[in-house]
Order: sequence, then structure tokens, then C-alpha cells
Amino acid sequence: MTTNPPKLVIPKLCEPTERVSQALERFVNTAPAICAERAVLLTESYKATEGQPIAIRRAKALENVLANMSVFIQEGELIVGNQCSMPRSAPIFPEFSCKWVEEELDRLEKRTADVFLISEETKEKLRSAFTYWDGRTTNEIAAALMPPESLEAHNDVVYTVGNYFYNGVGHISPDYSKVLNEGLSSVIESAESAIKELDFADADAQNKRRFLESVVIANNAVIAFAERFAKVAEEQAASCEGTRKDELLEIARICRKVPAQPADTLQEALQAFWFVHLVVQIESNGHSISPMRFDQYMNPFLQEGSTSVERAQEMLDMLWVKFAELNKVRDEASTMAFAGYPMFMNLIVGGQQRDGSDATNAMSFLVLQASANTKLYAPSLSIRIHEGTPDVLYKRAAEVSRLGLGYPAYYNDRVIIPALLARGLSREDARDYGIIGCVEPQVGGKTEGWHDAAFFNMSKVVELCLNDGVDRRTGKQIGPKSGKLEDFTSFDEVMQSYEAQTSYFVKLMAAADNAVDMTHGKHCPLPFLSGLVEDCIGRGMSLQEGGAIYNFTGPQGVGVANAGDSLAAIKKLVFEEKLITVKELQDALHSNFEGQEDLRLMLVNRAPKYGNDNDFADAVAKDAADIYCNEVNRYTNPRGGKFQPGLYPASANVPLGSVVTATPDGRMAWSPLADGVSPISGYDSCGPTASVLSVAKLDHEIASNGTLLNQKFHPSALAGDNGLENLKAVTETYFQNGGFHVQYNVISRETLELAQEKPEDYKGLVVRVAGYSAFFTALDKSLQDDIIARTEQTF
Amino acid sequence: MTWKERQHSFRLSDRHNAALTGTVFDIQRFSVHDGNGIRTLVFLKGCPLHCMWCQNPESMSPKPELMRLPHLCIGCGKCIEKCPENVFSIDSEGAFIVERGKCTYCGECVAHCYAGAMTIVGRYMTVDEVMEEVERDRHFYETSGGGVTFSGGEPTMQAEFLLECLCEAHRRGLHTAIETCAMVRSDVFEKILDHTDLVLTDIKHMDSAQHKRLTGAPNELVLRNISNAAAMGKKLRIRVPLIPGCNDSVENIEATAKFVSSLGSNVESLDILPYHRLGESKWEQLDRTYPLHGIEPNAKDTVLAMHEVAQKYVESVTIGG
Repeated sequence: MTTNPPKLVIPKLCEPTERVSQALERFVNTAPAICAERAVLLTESYKATEGQPIAIRRAKALENVLANMSVFIQEGELIVGNQCSMPRSAPIFPEFSCKWVEEELDRLEKRTADVFLISEETKEKLRSAFTYWDGRTTNEIAAALMPPESLEAHNDVVYTVGNYFYNGVGHISPDYSKVLNEGLSSVIESAESAIKELDFADADAQNKRRFLESVVIANNAVIAFAERFAKVAEEQAASCEGTRKDELLEIARICRKVPAQPADTLQEALQAFWFVHLVVQIESNGHSISPMRFDQYMNPFLQEGSTSVERAQEMLDMLWVKFAELNKVRDEASTMAFAGYPMFMNLIVGGQQRDGSDATNAMSFLVLQASANTKLYAPSLSIRIHEGTPDVLYKRAAEVSRLGLGYPAYYNDRVIIPALLARGLSREDARDYGIIGCVEPQVGGKTEGWHDAAFFNMSKVVELCLNDGVDRRTGKQIGPKSGKLEDFTSFDEVMQSYEAQTSYFVKLMAAADNAVDMTHGKHCPLPFLSGLVEDCIGRGMSLQEGGAIYNFTGPQGVGVANAGDSLAAIKKLVFEEKLITVKELQDALHSNFEGQEDLRLMLVNRAPKYGNDNDFADAVAKDAADIYCNEVNRYTNPRGGKFQPGLYPASANVPLGSVVTATPDGRMAWSPLADGVSPISGYDSCGPTASVLSVAKLDHEIASNGTLLNQKFHPSALAGDNGLENLKAVTETYFQNGGFHVQYNVISRETLELAQEKPEDYKGLVVRVAGYSAFFTALDKSLQDDIIARTEQTF
Repeated sequence: MTWKERQHSFRLSDRHNAALTGTVFDIQRFSVHDGNGIRTLVFLKGCPLHCMWCQNPESMSPKPELMRLPHLCIGCGKCIEKCPENVFSIDSEGAFIVERGKCTYCGECVAHCYAGAMTIVGRYMTVDEVMEEVERDRHFYETSGGGVTFSGGEPTMQAEFLLECLCEAHRRGLHTAIETCAMVRSDVFEKILDHTDLVLTDIKHMDSAQHKRLTGAPNELVLRNISNAAAMGKKLRIRVPLIPGCNDSVENIEATAKFVSSLGSNVESLDILPYHRLGESKWEQLDRTYPLHGIEPNAKDTVLAMHEVAQKYVESVTIGG
């Protein structure tokens, strides 16, 4: 610990400027569309590089895309760089999967959520590009590699590995700091000198050489890409007068300097950051590419002094709009699990520095203000809390929470740092953690965390454990024969059955994940990204093959509350109080409580429920979660890393619930599961304090891939200074009791209902979904209903 | 047993679980509008006043009471089947009939109503049982500067039990508040105040005759108790429930504000609580007639005008508390 931390100077908080307001207006009125450029250029390159080593093919494909895609600068922009031929458009990544795109081309404009416009010309270009990819995508290769039982269980939605099965991995934080301070030229130099040092007698040297060459090609391509923007800026400047002319000339100068060379000013640093962030998106087809500790690596450029606070705020606000412009198209089914055009770009402030001292700085406040000014759903804003978090930052964060945007999300250093230490991170690296995507902690620039490896349907497992491994939806025997509810004579037998099913399906899930993982390593290395993650260059190995210092695979358990409450109801009502028999319960579940509302209400109201600070229910929920987590901990991945469990859902609690029959918690068949570690909507009837105390009883340290608690407040509960104090007190108590993450939705039910009725009046309404925020009106009706139903804590 | 679990059954014999038991009709955690910080609110049953606008009519009687929540009823008929006294029936027109006089409070209907439609309001609890529930949120009181608030009904109606609860809370280092109408013998009130850190009280009308008309009792004792509390140096928050046509005249608000300003600096604030109708359905659920049926809440402008009047005399006036 340092004894004399530098004095914290809190910067002036500036409102959005006219330039920012115009950019926001333009953004909200831009409809997302599909862009074919990347797919066409990439396919063209792949055709031209047949037979070459895959690393080289990947680098050349990226080079071809960056050299030939459209580039433009929008009115008033200060930070430049576009992902597609139009803002808010989404590129296509045919090398990962494209069958679904082809099948859904005509539905993209018509689906119920995350709609994308698409022209007939674009459709034609895509169809033509896709002909090359038949049988060559990572999706098809991984499917062929996967054990058939694993694929079947995935298709039956006992778990879904869909994320990386159909897409790139993403879920990364490249070493932004290195780019700002040393430039991409230093990456090129390292790769080149590593090539010189290769011992060609080493059997692996050829592979290493190809990988290192691919890093050089990719980095040079990015430098050339930046120069294209310098040219556009100069062209625009030629037909421009006054301030804007100067701005454009400055942009041109900067784009010739960064990201090749180290940045000196704040604008240079932001521009270098943006090029890296942007190109990683274009290269990798993953979401959750996360800036992480932005306040830590950006603050020195603010302190450098040549940029006024007003100008710095404006540049950040404009950068925030750029974040929101990045987009991704998902298949219709995945849209249910990741609804609202989310990119999960997690950006975190505060917490500890590598030496354990408080990390809060002036940039932390500007970042909070940028989110308050822009009120967009991106980036996903987070804050780390530790014993030394200054009250002024805590309160400022609470004020932003109260705006109702669902962020910042709060993270607990006191649980997360020990959790990461237990996963083998060094003490300094653990203190330096940031958050990826929804809630997943890792140290940036050193980790391939594979954080969103799967969603595991804990409630489906409950169904299977009561039905001898038979899927009641399809009638198929898919799990081991672990017994039927009507034959169980004790609660222990029920738990043994639950454990047997969990163990079996976690194993299949691990096999499925590893098949996908190996496929990415072999067929889709990412040379540009790899160059920015330690120690890929040192090991001469791509990130996808295991080049990073830390490697993990993180699959999530979904429906903790439903599994816990279902098992608790059996324990209490069947075996302890004997209010119903196993047979009666089984029959009621099989008939979806048809004609037995009375019995269903007994399950709902008489069995103890997780989320009410009831020790009986909370202990069962903890057991259910622990069984899942301990099973996951047993497996290793092909990159030499371990599996680590998480307990969060994105919005997968809705689709995962749609395959589960009636459950003993009183839940009707096919309805949504509870999200994350949150209690079931409406069952947490003792208020937020009871709710967070219940959730804190789970073991959040073992679930080191992240847990998620969604807490909803009515605005009146948080009014005034007292309201801020109360919000802070709820967070603080949850954290002192061992919670991991909490986020708040502070919007009244009435507002959401109005937005459902008149979406046109609420185009800009941002809500928290789960680990991320989205425009409410972009969500599917069922998810909107789910958000409305989440208990609103008033009193 | 948590408060929530307590609702699943009712036993008259619980009254004799200890030498001293109280009748509690609700316990609410995370209460943020009734005292500092995050608090737990313990509602004691029974009230000496009968305000026409009472939002908790189930709190008036000191005894447990049968209450039916028709919107939760699923028509399973268990209550009719299980009641040994035939309290419930359905008449020829299909209406649900409750013959309250026959009820012996055996609790059979409550135990079998899984929908939660048939309830008995009020549970006999010991001081320790109340404190066990209160202790659950101790951590939040400590992080927010909150504590426990005893409300009602009128908590001083159960003076002995209340006093024991307050002493016990103080022994455990908790901040205590009471929400009282101050209609209680002054010597008893004084003893209670000794263990109370914050007093939330209300003035329904400054004119004693009007007060009697609206609440069933004159206001002299109320005002004297409030003055005494201020003189004892107790922190006070004074509320005025603004009831259209009853006490919302400028004269009354002015008189109230003047009285409050005479109490000195121990008054933290004067809170104007605009009328709402959320309690009306509860009168029906108890088979009683709501005396103020049909009156409309005050217009926003009227409330603001009253705020302005009060502010002439009192520094801190809030709307909605």
C-alpha cells in the first residue's frame, strides 16, 4: 500500500455540447442495416490464398478488408473510424457461420427484435459470397468434431454453446495501454525480432514463423487503414472553412501518427484506442470486446495538460457515440439470448491499482459523466468498489444509477480479487482486473477467458432429475437413468439424482466447448488481436491456440433461483411437512398444473423461496449452485487452461425457460427462468434488503466467471440525498456480505408500460437487461414483459 | 420463523408464549420514508382514534381480525370446507358471505388458503421474536444510519410491549423511532420517549372540535404531548395528512405551521402528506364502509399552495415526507 496517494482532483462536470447533441440525434434516427463489404472482401482474399498457412490467410484477409472497405468521417466527428459502409450497420463474418444468415436474409427486416434493414443488392452479394463457405465455416467444422451426444444435448437446450459455435469468441481486452504508450510499430518490432531469434531446428519453428509474420502483416494493415482516414480528413478539409477545417487537419495529422507511434495528447490517445478497438471488432466477430480500465490508461493523457476539461469531455462524449455505432447481427434464436443490439463493451472505473492503492482519478469522473451525457446503451459502464473507494465517486456513481439507464454496474473487489487469486493470477494482476462483457472478471491484455462458453440450463436439469433422464418436452431419454420423482423416498435421493444429471451434462458441455475451442485454434486464429495479448508473440502462438498468459473457459449456470426453489419445495412440502406426496407433485408437474391451481399456489406460497432472506431456501439454492460450480471446475480446455463457472444469463433466461416443463417452484411450463443469481420475479416479496442478503449467501468466489444480480427500484425509493445514501448502503451491505456484482434498474413500471404501448415516443429509453443495457423498444415483447415483471422494490 | 412464514398460520395460543406478547400486524423491511436511513417498520395493532381517512383500517382494532382479499381468491372452497364454525358460505346469487361473529379464530381457513386470500390480520409475538426479524437488516442500518421504527395502528396502545421493544432495541444499539398519533397518557408517553430517538407524529386538525369530528377524539392531549416531546429535546418530524374537505383549509394549515414553529429547533421537518385512496379497498375487505368514499385527492396546485403557506412559518416543509 502506498502511504501518500496523490491528491484526487475532481474535474468540473460538463453538459453535452451542441456537437454531441447533434451526433446523438443522428444516431437515434439511424436504422441498423446489414453491410456486405466485409463478407465480400474476406471471401475474395480467402479464394486468392488457398493452400497458404491459415495464419497468413487470416492476416491477408484482414488486410484486404481494411484496404478496401468504405471509410468515412461524419459531420462533427473528433474521433474517426467506421466499422461498416454505414453507421450502426453490421458486417457479416461468413468464416464462422453463414447458413443461418442465408436462411434468415429475408426475415432480418421483419423479425420481432433487433431488426436490420437489408437491400436486395446486399442479399445478392452475400448469397454469392456464401457459396464459397459451404462446409468450411468454424461452425460446420466444430459440429463435425463434437461428440454426437454433446451436439444433441445442445440441440435439446440442456445447455447452449451457441455463442462461439456460430460466432467468433471476442470477450477480450487487448493491451490498449501498449498501443497508447508504444504504438503498433513496437508490436511489429517485437514480432520481427522474434522471427530472427527462431531456432529453425525446432520442429515448431515454421508454425511460429507463420504466426509472427501474420502479426506483422496485420499490424501494417491497421497502420495503413489509419492513413486512409488521414486522406479522407484532408479531402474534407479542402472543401471546408474555419474551425472544422482545423479539426479535420488535426484529425489527418493524428491518423498519420497513431496507432503506429505512441500517443502524446488526449485526442491522439483516444484515436489510437479507437482504431485498435474498431479493428478487433472487424477482425474477430465477437462481442464483449472490452475497453476495461479506460480511466487507468487514459488519465495520463488528460493529465498531460494540453486538453481542457470541456474539450476532453466533448471528445469522450463523441467517442461514446462511436461505441454505440458498432453493431452485430445475430441469428433469430440468439437474439432472444442477446437482445437489444448489445456489444457488451465493458468499461470500468475505480478500484485498486496494481499496488493495492485506490485507482480513482479525474478520468473516472469524466467517464461517468460521458455516460450520463450520452445516455446510450454502450459502452457498458462499470465501477469497482473496495474499502478505499472515495465516497465522492461512490455517490457520483449512485447518481448515474438513478438516471435509470441500468449502469454503472457495481463490482466488489473484496470478492473478485481473492477469486482471481484462487484461479492462479498473480497478486498484481488480480488487483488490475477489469470486466469483460456482462460480469466476467479478468486481467486485460494477458487473458483469453472464453467467458461466454455456454449457458447451462439448471432448471432443465431439475426436470431431468425428476424424470429419470427423460426430456418431457420431446419424450427422449437424454440423461442417465437417475430415478423418478414418484420413486424417491427421501430428499437426499432427489439431490443425488440432480447431481448425477448435472455431472453428466456438464461433461457433455465441456466436450462441446472444447470441440469449438480447438476449431477456432486451428481454423480461425486472429493475428492482429494476438499481437496485443501477452505472451502470444513470446510463445509464437495465436491467442486461439493458447498464446495468452491466462486461459479459461467459462460456462454459465442459468436459473439458480428456479432450481433452488424447486428443490426447496420438494424438501419442505413433500419430505418435511408431507403436505403433498411425490406422486401428486409428479402428476401436477406433468399436467402443467392443469386444474390444480390450488396445488400450484401451495408450491408458490408455502414453500420457502430464495430471495427472502430465508435460510432454508437460500441453503438449497446454494447447494444447487455449488453442485454445478464444482462439476465445471473439473475440466480443462485445449489452450492449457481450466474451466471456471459463472452464474449469469445475458437474456438467455427467456429462451432457456421456453424448453422447460412445469417446475416444483410453481413455475408454469415454458415460462422464463429467473435471471442470473436474482430471485424469481415476484417471489422476493420482503424487499431489497432481504433479497440481497439471500443472494449474498451463495458462494460468489467459486463462481469466478461472474454472478449477476439485477435489482429493480422504483424511483421514489431513491429520491433525494437520502436515496443516494440508501442505494450506496444496499450496495455496500451486499458487498460486505460477499456479493460479486449488482446493477440497478431505476425506472417505474408505468414508464415501461407506456413505452410498450407507444414505442415511437420512447425511442431513446435505455434499460438494464442483464449485464448490459439496451433500448427498451428494440427488445422482443416477451423480454419486455420479463423486465416489467422483475420485482419493483418500492415501499 | 420469518415474518413472511408467520403468515401461513394463526394460533390464538401464541398470545401466551411469553409473559408479555404484542399484537403485530405487519413488519416491513427496507422502509426509507419513515425515519433516517434504511429501516424496518413494525406495525402494532390497535388505535385510539378512528380517522375517517384511515389507510390501515385493519390496524384500528387491537384484536386479530379476519380479512379476505377477494382478488387473490381462486374459488377452491377450502375455507368453507375446513371452517368448523361455518363462518363462510356462498349465497344463492354467488356472493361470498362471511359471518364474522361466528369466527373463533382457530386459523383453519388461513392454514388451507394457499392463494393467501383468507388472512387473519395480527400475530401475537414476543419481544424476542420481533427483534429477531428486526435484526435481519442490522447490517443495512449500520451502512445507512437507519434503525427500527414502531408504527401502527398506534404503537403506544400497546405501551408495555412497545416500551420493552424500544428498550431491547436500545440495548442492542439500534436507532429507534416511533410513528405515533400522540393520543396517549402523558406520563406513559414520557417513558416511551426515554427510549425513542426520533418521533414521527401527525397533527390532523388544530381545531379540537373538528379533530373530534374527524378522528373521534379532541386534540388537547395530542398537542400537549407533542409540546412535551419537543421540550424533552426529542427530534420530531411532524406530518399533516392533507384530506380534501376535512383539514385542507388555509387557516388550518397556517395554524398547524404556527404551532410547529413554536416547538423550536427539534422539529426536523413538517411533511405535508397529500391524500391518496390506496387504503379504500381494505375497508371493503373488512366488510366496513369507507367514510370518505368518492372524494378526490387535492389538485397539485392546492398542495403546492399549502406548502407555501406552511413555509412562512417553518423552515423545512416537504411534500410527501
